[in-house]
Amino acid sequence: MRTDLLAEYWPTIWNGFLITVLLSFVVLAVSTPIAFFLALARQSQLAVLRWPAGIYVNVFRALPVLIILYFAFYALPQFGMSLTAFQAATAGLVIASSAYLAEDIRAGLAAVDPGQRHAATALGIPYWRSLRRIYLPQAIPIALPPYITRAIIIVKGTALASLVAVNDLTAEAVRAISITYRPYEFLAVAAILYLVINALLAALQSFTERHIALRYGRVAAGPAAVAQ
Amino acid sequence: MNLDFGIIAVVWPALLKGSLVTVQLTLAVLICATPLAVLVALGRDSKIPALRLPLAVFSAVLRGIPPLLVLFIVFFGLPPAGITLDPFPSAVLAMTCYMAFYFGEVFRGGLQSVPPDQWRAAEALGLKPSRTVVRIILPQTLPAVLPPYISHATEVLKGTALATAVAVPELTSAARQVFVVTFRPFEVLIVAALIYAVLDGILLTLQYWGERWAARTGTSIRF
Repeated sequence: MRTDLLAEYWPTIWNGFLITVLLSFVVLAVSTPIAFFLALARQSQLAVLRWPAGIYVNVFRALPVLIILYFAFYALPQFGMSLTAFQAATAGLVIASSAYLAEDIRAGLAAVDPGQRHAATALGIPYWRSLRRIYLPQAIPIALPPYITRAIIIVKGTALASLVAVNDLTAEAVRAISITYRPYEFLAVAAILYLVINALLAALQSFTERHIALRYGRVAAGPAAVAQ
Repeated sequence: MNLDFGIIAVVWPALLKGSLVTVQLTLAVLICATPLAVLVALGRDSKIPALRLPLAVFSAVLRGIPPLLVLFIVFFGLPPAGITLDPFPSAVLAMTCYMAFYFGEVFRGGLQSVPPDQWRAAEALGLKPSRTVVRIILPQTLPAVLPPYISHATEVLKGTALATAVAVPELTSAARQVFVVTFRPFEVLIVAALIYAVLDGILLTLQYWGERWAARTGTSIRF
């Protein structure tokens, strides 16, 4: 164990860790609303919305994420769009992640009894309000645990950005290894840092399962949710 | 921007070769990880803490860090320990390590779907534990396990793209080598994507048949 080498390379490793956190956060923040609208579009009665959303989701889930990243990083410049490595990695990961998240969110929406929507329509409640007041309060507690499971997979997936020249945690660990020839120290540090992020997400998951799901579950079951 | 798909007529042998490596890698990982996963599933619910606890730790760690990092751990970590492997076996080893635990969770769910009475009945009839597993328990888990097994197999297929990072000449790596030389990334990547889609399609067809079989067998197997 060479702690002196760890100390020497700690600033770059920490930088890589911050980039991994930033990348994960940006990818989740951008792909969640996209995935939400994709999930709504896949449930739509309009074929013009349903079909493109279905194709998007099924095509991008069928491809290796790395291939999508290569498209963003290597093929976009062919069309005159030059992105920085971080932007290309973000774009590629958002495209892939939104397709996977859309399926998780759709499963949550589909789990709500369709009678609820018919009842809202019959009562003359507009689409968006019934979505906000009736549908989502019931769908969110169902969709939240699989959403966070997917978020953990997405965080792990950001390691792929190291293959398109982003200096994330994996890239910095590999660089430190190739300079120092000390693999164990840096692999262990990288693994521990990833485990810390994912342990936090897993803790959030069990917290939401116990608290938010229960609270929303009760609100949704009572008449108060519909009254307003 | 002018696309020139004529380039594919020149580079297809390289892509075909890469596709074959991708298929080999997928099959090798499935063949190695599946029996290990059964052992992992049995061990995770074992009554012996010395077996159960280390497996729980391995499962949490290997499923909590990026698959790419597992590849690097094998690729960079083994040579200083005196073990030098070629890229292909080291990729198989790394992917087997984490897939055994992902598949292990699938099989665990399947094992838990078998009523515990079955174990006790087999014990009462004097069957050896190994025979009980092979003859009584595993056949009953198949209908529950097959659909998620195949959907994880598509994850293996897509995951083989990571092996490009440790210099395995599979499809993604072949595509990259080709477009770096020809400066036609879009055309080459589209063809690579189509090949992945076809391979995925084969697995999805298997899943479709598997699910139909499971729906038939799953109901008839109850006594």
